[in-house]
Amino acid sequence: MSNKINRRDFLKFVGAGTLGAGAGFLAADASKMTTEFLIPQVNLPEDYSPGIATWYHTVCTQCSAGCGISVRTREGRAKKIEGNPSHPVNQGRLCALGQAGLNVLYNPDRIKTPLLRDGERGSGSFSPISWDQALTTISGVLGTLKIQKKANNAYLLSGGVNGHLHELFALFMDQLGSKNYLQHEFSHPASLYAANKACFDEDVLPYYDIRNSKYLLSFGADYLGAWLSPVHHSVSYGHLRQGTEQRGRCVQVEARMSLSGANADEWIAARPGSEGMLALAMAHSIVEQGLYAGADAGDWKQALGAYSPASVAERSGISADRIVRIATEFAAASPSLAIGGGAAGASTNGTANLVAVNVLNYIGGNIGEAGGILFNPASTFSIDAPRPRASYQQMLKLFASLRGNDAEVLILHDTNPVFTLPAAANVKEAVMAVPYVIGMSSFMDETMALADIILPLDTYLEAWGDNIPDPGVGFAVASIAQPVVKRLYDTRSAGDIILALAHQIGGELPANMPWTSMENYLMEMWRSVYRGKSDDSSDQGFRKFWTSILESGVWGESPQQQDRPHQAMGRAMLSAVGMAQPSFAGNESEYRFVMQPYLSLAFHDGRGANLPWMQELPDPLTSIVYNSWVELNPKTAAELAIGEGDVLLVESTVGRFEAPAFIYEAIRPDVVAMPIGQGHGNYGRYASGRGSNPIEILAPETDSGSGGLAWSATRVKISKTGRRVHVIKTDGTTRDLGRNILGQKDGHA
Amino acid sequence: MSTALEKFKKYRKPGYYDKFDYHWTMSIDLDRCTGCEACVVACQAENNLPIVGEQQFAMRREIKWIRIERYWEGEYPDIKLQFIPMLCQHCDQAPCEIACPVFATYHNQDGLNTQVYNRCIGTRTCAVYCPYEVRFFNWFTYEWDEPLEQQLNPDVTVREKGVMEKCTFCIQRIRQAKDAAKDDSRRRVRDGEIKPACVQSCPTEAMVFGDLNDPDSQVSKMARNPRGYHVLEELNTTPSIVYLKRVHTDG
Amino acid sequence: MSISVLEALAYFKKPALVVFGGVAGFVVGIWVNSTYFDDATPIQPIEFSHRIHAGENEIPCQYCHVYAARTPVAGVPSVEKCMGCHRSVATDKPEIIKVAQYFADRKPIPWIKVYDVPDFVHFTHKRHIKAGLECATCHGPVDTMDRITRQQPLRMPWCVDCHTSKEVENGRDCWTCHK
Repeated sequence: MSNKINRRDFLKFVGAGTLGAGAGFLAADASKMTTEFLIPQVNLPEDYSPGIATWYHTVCTQCSAGCGISVRTREGRAKKIEGNPSHPVNQGRLCALGQAGLNVLYNPDRIKTPLLRDGERGSGSFSPISWDQALTTISGVLGTLKIQKKANNAYLLSGGVNGHLHELFALFMDQLGSKNYLQHEFSHPASLYAANKACFDEDVLPYYDIRNSKYLLSFGADYLGAWLSPVHHSVSYGHLRQGTEQRGRCVQVEARMSLSGANADEWIAARPGSEGMLALAMAHSIVEQGLYAGADAGDWKQALGAYSPASVAERSGISADRIVRIATEFAAASPSLAIGGGAAGASTNGTANLVAVNVLNYIGGNIGEAGGILFNPASTFSIDAPRPRASYQQMLKLFASLRGNDAEVLILHDTNPVFTLPAAANVKEAVMAVPYVIGMSSFMDETMALADIILPLDTYLEAWGDNIPDPGVGFAVASIAQPVVKRLYDTRSAGDIILALAHQIGGELPANMPWTSMENYLMEMWRSVYRGKSDDSSDQGFRKFWTSILESGVWGESPQQQDRPHQAMGRAMLSAVGMAQPSFAGNESEYRFVMQPYLSLAFHDGRGANLPWMQELPDPLTSIVYNSWVELNPKTAAELAIGEGDVLLVESTVGRFEAPAFIYEAIRPDVVAMPIGQGHGNYGRYASGRGSNPIEILAPETDSGSGGLAWSATRVKISKTGRRVHVIKTDGTTRDLGRNILGQKDGHA
Repeated sequence: MSTALEKFKKYRKPGYYDKFDYHWTMSIDLDRCTGCEACVVACQAENNLPIVGEQQFAMRREIKWIRIERYWEGEYPDIKLQFIPMLCQHCDQAPCEIACPVFATYHNQDGLNTQVYNRCIGTRTCAVYCPYEVRFFNWFTYEWDEPLEQQLNPDVTVREKGVMEKCTFCIQRIRQAKDAAKDDSRRRVRDGEIKPACVQSCPTEAMVFGDLNDPDSQVSKMARNPRGYHVLEELNTTPSIVYLKRVHTDG
Repeated sequence: MSISVLEALAYFKKPALVVFGGVAGFVVGIWVNSTYFDDATPIQPIEFSHRIHAGENEIPCQYCHVYAARTPVAGVPSVEKCMGCHRSVATDKPEIIKVAQYFADRKPIPWIKVYDVPDFVHFTHKRHIKAGLECATCHGPVDTMDRITRQQPLRMPWCVDCHTSKEVENGRDCWTCHK
């Protein structure tokens, strides 16, 4: 071997050097930062400095409670939603679903332009069109109806809108010449309104003063979960527990332990539908013990005679001793408060149940007292015209007219009845029967897919609006919703669309609806509010007033309680009280279980299912994510040899679905429960094709007092399919196992 | 060399600091907590927690800096359920800190148990050592579907695959409050000025956050409550979270 | 028989040569890249001169970088701000015509970042300026530069050295900058 460097060696050397140089060059390059850009504004933004957060106040519409929210924005983008500290409903706090509003705004599945159907009706095939095209088409259709004096064949079905948007809808339909304006929301407690109307002659709900109560007795109302105004109740609950020296006690009567039941000191698993009887038995016991001192005690003694604890014990499954004990505690505690709702208001005797709860409050002396039931003052607002919130019966009537020959146009705004009503209501078929369906929504869903033309809506974080919370907080409150970010897509707010349509339809509409935009309309309406409240009618004065509301996010008047004629109320209740046995669809021998669907904390009535944060939020009671489940008592499960994850076939008299089983420790053995929210067929990438929808198989039973859907009146049978799935949840063991994690063992504290 | 070794030994010894500058502490009143999960979403939003997806969740790879644990007691019909929020306890004698080979987790002068993403090499030892199971590993670089990334908090780093993460007591909010204090020429942050996202959102005001060094702070008062206790106290981790046990009345 | 070490090593002479060639090439490569392809002085979309603005015309830094003293970022002036002067000043210069074009098109100017820290570093201008630091301490004699050149490596040791020598409160806690 020669040691001389020959030509080959030299080439090797040069080759290695070249490769090395290349590698070195690339290595040096790789160590550099990627080029980043520094993009200035064209014009200096007025409302923010880069790197500094700006907060905007607006109103949450994730449920109907009407919490005030503050949205943190940075560089024009919404970053975080928190409660507005100066808003009396939520007092700076906010629930999980409310905070997930960012997922609504920035949802990848939003409808970004107006859409025109280009396939079969209901096929869900659409192609984009321009706003001009869309509005011209729609105003043409509506204008023709108006000219032909057939406008009453136009229908507007909206979600639960509140405030001036509702007023604008009502005005528009009126101007068009149609009386067919309804609102639909699954969670609308028709029976609660009916019961309060019967007892107190009030169209708005009273204020349940949980905060100052010392004994809270809830019949089915999941006040911490999804009932009416959960954040407000939670704030109050914290105060009830630890806000004062004397800790308030909570008792929950319900067949399936809800979040409120889990937090109560005592959980009473009464038979579904027997809640009212229990309340009356307690009232009976209070009167019998002479703890009620009213002048009408004699009348009550007579009226409640049929509801002795002993007679109710068997029907409710709760022992007479226990009923008497609770009654005595309730009467002794001062102030005490009984509330009712949820499943108690959703059986066939729902209204009667809730009337009974009011009676218990009356006998307990809690009406008109702090810590009991207080009344919201009559609104000083012109916009408080009753909202046409439809009960299930009214919805059925609507669908019957839609199927009739006269119906020509249906406008759907932000509502999804195909999902939130039982299959037995045949919503889909009724909507399909209408020749022309106009949809307004931010998202494609099961109902929107049936439309001929879809107008994409701003989300609530991009639109103007206002809200009067119902239930109120004991005094007049209203808040203004303002856009917190520039709209992301080519969308418009419902108010702007309605005004644009009014202008295009012509006739007397432009003159009677002269506003240029929703913002303009709101300001004009609030100007009249301001004029009624202030001596200073100058424009400058109003501007100041307007700005101050936008800055604080809320407008309110100092609390003013109204006295109610107590005796008259007692008479009204005496005549209203009366208890029918609940009835259930399906005979007990074949359909063993009463099914109780419940509003999910994460999805509410299903609208939250397209929010990824909510899909990945463990359910508070089971810690399950991403799917549906059927809750069974451990004894029932053992008897039927059902284990967690066994896929069950759940059958009612009208429908069936499959869902995995979950053994839930706190549910009556004769009841199965299931959360509402999953089971979407067409609701974006996060929701579609997950789980099943319990509403679908509900029998069309109604509450006789209000016509509301009795969603706790369906019996089901369950059977194993033989398949088994992994139920995804965060919990491992759910027992303490001596670790003293809760600090309850001696030795601590 | 010897000084480095001494420092190392001293660091490994519990009680590295004689006194913390601030001693950030949280109290959680279990008598108020309803398990409503508002804190869970607040944290998700504030700290850019990813959505890991159904499959990863099924493999227990979820990332939730705070979670609600539930414990059943008794049997139907005499059954009770109780919730307890579980998050990083910021232990003053933290097992995780002893474990980390690269000092990516250490105790800082404010009594916080830190996690430094750019130091972390992903051995996951800390997660194994943590008795509270509140450390989470990024198995992937999780993506946000456009335009969901627009909701990300610019004050918090978006983590990539291969690093551990956990509750920071919302260090960005602490830094911001300190920044504001400096702007106002104040030496100290005011009590109640800092609210981590979970504390801010809590509807029942179950959580209180503040400086335990200040005897008049609200959290100090809560910590002196006779109901106060630490979870897994027998492990001597001296957590910075004081739980106030739930009141049980007969019935 | 004796074994010469040199002779034994001679066997490795040729491979060593190749390895040496590779290593040398690697070093040269790095040098070439960092000398001739340096990203410390990027070419900007507009040949803006700090020497003319900050040097000759003595415009204070924060006249344009308005946010420096009150927010984490210094900020670049809006195009509108450029036009504030250049509607009437030097309107015939080719670079100014470019700026006017951006403004007419309502488009921002895509400046290339010279000073950039990774996303996991939360640097704040405000604290540094409030602590009394001169802009030039980190950014160098900007008023003499036509094209801005990065003066500092922006690596962590550089940050920590300064924090240490100035005894910054909590200046060496990781969570001061990383969070």
